[in-house]
Amino acid sequence: MKKKVISALLCAAMLTASLTGCSGETSDSGNSREESSGTESAGQESSGETAAAESGQKETPDMDFAGEELSILVSAGWMDNRYDDTIARFEETYDVTVDLQTIPADQYSDILQSKLSTDSCADIFWIQSNPFAISSVIVDPEKYCIDFSDAGWKGIMPEARLSSCEYEGKLYGLQIWHNSPEYVMTYNKTLFEELNLEVPTSYAELLNVCEKIAAEGITPWFLPGADGWQHQLAFFQIGGVYEEAVPGLYDALNGNTATFADNAKMLEVLTQFKELSDKGYFGEDWIGTDSANMANEFGDRNCAMAMANSSYIKQIQEETGTADEFGLFLIPLGDNGSFPTNPAGPTMFGYKGTEHEELVKTFFDFVTTTESLQEILDNSPAYTNLDVNDAGLEQHWLPEEEEFMNAVDKNKMNTPVLQTGTKYTNDYWGDFGADMISFCQNQCEANDVLKNMDSNRAEAAKIAGDSAWE
Amino acid sequence: MGEVGFVGLSNYIEIFTSDKDYLSGIGHTLMFTVVSNIVKLIPALFLAIMLNEGIRGKGVYRTLLYLPSILPYVIIGILFTSILNYNNGMLNSVLEFLHLGFLKQKWLSDLNVVWKSIFGVDAWRGVGYVMTIFIAGLSTIPRSYYEAAQIDGANFWQRLRYVTLPMISGSIMINLVFGITYGLKVFDIIYVLTNGGPGHATEVITTYSYQLYSSGHYGMSTALNTILLLITAAVGVWIVKSMSKQEVQQ
Repeated sequence: MKKKVISALLCAAMLTASLTGCSGETSDSGNSREESSGTESAGQESSGETAAAESGQKETPDMDFAGEELSILVSAGWMDNRYDDTIARFEETYDVTVDLQTIPADQYSDILQSKLSTDSCADIFWIQSNPFAISSVIVDPEKYCIDFSDAGWKGIMPEARLSSCEYEGKLYGLQIWHNSPEYVMTYNKTLFEELNLEVPTSYAELLNVCEKIAAEGITPWFLPGADGWQHQLAFFQIGGVYEEAVPGLYDALNGNTATFADNAKMLEVLTQFKELSDKGYFGEDWIGTDSANMANEFGDRNCAMAMANSSYIKQIQEETGTADEFGLFLIPLGDNGSFPTNPAGPTMFGYKGTEHEELVKTFFDFVTTTESLQEILDNSPAYTNLDVNDAGLEQHWLPEEEEFMNAVDKNKMNTPVLQTGTKYTNDYWGDFGADMISFCQNQCEANDVLKNMDSNRAEAAKIAGDSAWE
Repeated sequence: MGEVGFVGLSNYIEIFTSDKDYLSGIGHTLMFTVVSNIVKLIPALFLAIMLNEGIRGKGVYRTLLYLPSILPYVIIGILFTSILNYNNGMLNSVLEFLHLGFLKQKWLSDLNVVWKSIFGVDAWRGVGYVMTIFIAGLSTIPRSYYEAAQIDGANFWQRLRYVTLPMISGSIMINLVFGITYGLKVFDIIYVLTNGGPGHATEVITTYSYQLYSSGHYGMSTALNTILLLITAAVGVWIVKSMSKQEVQQ
């Protein structure tokens, strides 16, 4: 009898657990959206008061901060030592103390969220921002962030970076980050010269270059498909080319009035990618190859090109001791001419609940002076530049970077890469990569790859309660 | 987290109607269950018979065959992704060294080969464990049965068919139950070797479920697991029924 009761109880528990399979994520997000919009309107009411208070403070600025303490909450790696000199100068100038609370990266997000929700945040906090991060990470910037819309330093940030610092037309964050070329084509310049090859600027030229390199028994384009995250870059880093083909595409994708599917330029790029794969220009087994040996492949001249950061050139030369020279050029799929601007980066915010609001504002003003920016750059050995509008700043571009940046049309640096310029796209990076491989192995059509991205984004939007997808 | 909404059977309906090909994941799971058992049970049985005989150093052989089954999957993944690498993996290098370059394969990225590689690695890992259970069964068979069969003129295959197999039916059943439940919930070996790739070629129920759970689709992920539970329960009931039928016959 006892056994029967236990069996019945276990069966009931199992059945209840399996009901989780009947749960959906839609209504909870709908709820949270309502809650957040409610808070937004409450925030809007109070913002008027804040603005008035701000204007009042502006009229009678109190610059005597002696003895005050400014706390900064930051994840490890976002400030490092590069702000030390500037902070020391700030402390000395205003006779204040800066309490730098550096949290290990894997704990930072949880700690920040708990501090925000318990109204106990530091005077300044950081997040890894992108054009959609303020709404998803901070959720309610009106409540938690100081409005810097009138700040004088707004102009130092390029337009693309501003998009990661603004929300609903108000400026909340300050992003001082480098703009070294990320995941562009790195190529063996010496090898190109020996084979009398010119840097390709269109897909047709790329095909021609690949053909000649392959004829020498060298892999033209080293593509580590087994990593699972690298090959997608060929499609996403050239976001500018899609926007150029269909002006307003990013806005339309974010407003759910356009789709990836049936986009002619995207289909063209995927087809070109497959053609390169079919012709073996990515190597005999690019799908099964990872990037562990990439530097050696360059050093041994087994490959001529790969997508990499500009700093990778130094790595190849140091690790392999090759005497070859290397250079950079834009990924020429889809005849792309756009620079892969990526507005994502660590960003500073002023906490609205602070008791030292003027000190916070003064700190933001202080770090954006040319002197401080130069100090920050000079104390950042890993960076060659800061992406700021400051003619007085002396950048330290590598010769290869400088040559590359000079060759890029400045008008083609404004569109962010597709994965950070459009909502919910980056969340399905791996799925898209797997679909690209399926397409290259004739398991699906190019448009299926794009359709899957659309349906994935729609699901993510549903979970987020995005009204554009309702 | 906010409130959870009741969506009825829509997650289950989506599994069977969606473009995402969850059905192929279910199909791959069933296929893996059948094939992985075949490629482990048959070699393990013959190895057990060999090692049950009085060959010299059989203890060493038994240990060597059993050792892979105690290795963690992560280690197996690192080991075999390296061995099976097309360009500089040990397997292709050895084939080339032996002038057998024509046998070189893209072991983990060719659609026609990748499942065979997974079955190979899975058998390498699991055959020792299965063999150990068979050896335990074989050691209970009295020698006199074989002697009587030999006097009657039975050859090896007849002794296997009419003496060994009926006498170790218990061990076969245990291995089948373990093998089928392992096959249905397979995840680790796929995850460490191919992560469901190339593309989606080796996705199984659990890899889809893992991806869905990671991206916050808890309902859908649980729905897939519930389907897995139903399949496992159905197969389990069938095995238990056939086992009790056999016991009655005996």
